[in-house]
Amino acid sequence: MIATLRYEFLMQVRRPVMWIVYALTVAVLLATGPGFSTLSLGGSDARDAKTAMVLLAPIMMTLMPIVYGCMLADRLVRDRRLGVDAVLDTTPADRTGRLVGKYLGACAATAVPFLAAYFARALVYVVAEGRPSALGWAVAVFVTTVVPGLLFTGALALAGPLLMPPMLFRVLFVVYWFCFVVIPPSVLPSPSYSIISPEGDYMRYGLYREGLAEGEVYRPSTAYAALDETGYFNFLRPDATPATALLWAALMLALALALLALVRLHAARTES
Amino acid sequence: MNIDISQLTKTYKGGVHALDGLTLHIPTGMYGLLGSNGAGKTTLMRILTGLLKPTSGTVRIGGHDITTPDGRLAVQRALGYLPQDLGVYPELTARQFLDYVALLKGLDSRQERRRRIAELLEVVSLTDAADRKVKGFSGGMLRRVGIAQALLADPRLLVVDEPTTGLDPEERIRFRTLLSQLAGDRTVLLSTHILDDVAQTCRRLAVMAKGRLVFHGDIGHLVSYADRRVWTVTTTGPAPAVGKVVSALPEGPAMRYRVVSATPPAAGAQPVAPTLEDGYLALMEAGASRP
Repeated sequence: MIATLRYEFLMQVRRPVMWIVYALTVAVLLATGPGFSTLSLGGSDARDAKTAMVLLAPIMMTLMPIVYGCMLADRLVRDRRLGVDAVLDTTPADRTGRLVGKYLGACAATAVPFLAAYFARALVYVVAEGRPSALGWAVAVFVTTVVPGLLFTGALALAGPLLMPPMLFRVLFVVYWFCFVVIPPSVLPSPSYSIISPEGDYMRYGLYREGLAEGEVYRPSTAYAALDETGYFNFLRPDATPATALLWAALMLALALALLALVRLHAARTES
Repeated sequence: MNIDISQLTKTYKGGVHALDGLTLHIPTGMYGLLGSNGAGKTTLMRILTGLLKPTSGTVRIGGHDITTPDGRLAVQRALGYLPQDLGVYPELTARQFLDYVALLKGLDSRQERRRRIAELLEVVSLTDAADRKVKGFSGGMLRRVGIAQALLADPRLLVVDEPTTGLDPEERIRFRTLLSQLAGDRTVLLSTHILDDVAQTCRRLAVMAKGRLVFHGDIGHLVSYADRRVWTVTTTGPAPAVGKVVSALPEGPAMRYRVVSATPPAAGAQPVAPTLEDGYLALMEAGASRP
């Protein structure tokens, strides 16, 4: 597992196209998103390091995961395309271990530019505001709010192309991200902003209580009620509390593991 | 490491019978596997290496049943495999690719791994290109990377599928000599279209056709299939219509044909001593004439 993790990381992190696409995405964020380019990060309380870092997470989770998913889409299927699988599959290395190594190595490498953009922005805040504590909050918010979503997205991006060509998967993934994650249910009935959605709202509101007054509870099921007449997926939108925030993280991890288990099952079925 | 194959069949989805009741004993040493395209050689090799599961039948390698997970693992610990269509990661250097495969093969000691990789890069004449990305390698160089990876863990069973394809004549000779040297106390299964590679390295071989074993035994025995069936005909006219023309060599204004045929292919045909190629063709002709 460690060998695969190491080499998958190495191969992915050296991929020029990944850095180029990420750079273009950051440029889009800078050009179009005042939240990313202004010092206050679009929030009302720019002096509060925690709030600033929590506000940074959704900005990053809007477009960057699309690049992340698309860049991961060919990682699993390319072994067969390149013809490397015959050599690797005849080694005594455990195939489940290799799959986990590939998943962690490729996901970690693909998250490097994401991480770099996130912490570069956090660093700008630290320097401008003279608040080093923001770096600690940046680490905490990244690990709790961004990483669970990326773990799920990474597993989805590895598993999806087993069922369809990677290019088609990328198109469908972009559609999925916009329709099921970014666009609120008030515009399009979908499980967006629910406990199975990877954008991390449950952590922001449940654990970090972003923008909430003392005693106030964020209720995703009513937040979008004004226009969401169907409410089909409201059963997936419990109130955001520390408990549901942890439940969201656990669900992201469980969904990622379930997808990896399906990938392994698929590999076992195609071995014959 | 003996290989015992009994009543092995492999039927792919769609009903294609790649192997049909194959029974074969492969002893330790160098062993050749011949057959035309679609004969089932690659399917057999993929089963022996644990890449494919047979539809029925048994395969025991060194006493291990390859169809069980434990047996497969035991065999893969002792296996070096060079597939016909070897792929590599283009963004890695030759040394990195070998290092990756070595790690997967369980060479955990960094020092030992580096020593072994350097040694094999020398053996396959890639020392100077070791730190270049393999995406710039020629077909022959990639083949040599493949050969090196197959030898990494000092395998007791070496399965090589068309190993000399893409190598220049000197490399080919050097590689088949290496295989012969390795074969001492190992089992080396060499599948190839190049009869000369088998003739120069193997004492024993098997020939497959349409998923079945049509011959197994000594090289001399296969050659003897063409006894009194190989002729040369020198003519200025058309090629002989009887039998199978093996070669045609210009000789002044005439052509000298080498023909495998049960009867003299033309008036004045001279019998000559058969080679492995003649024996193989005679065997295939006999098989083709069967209903």
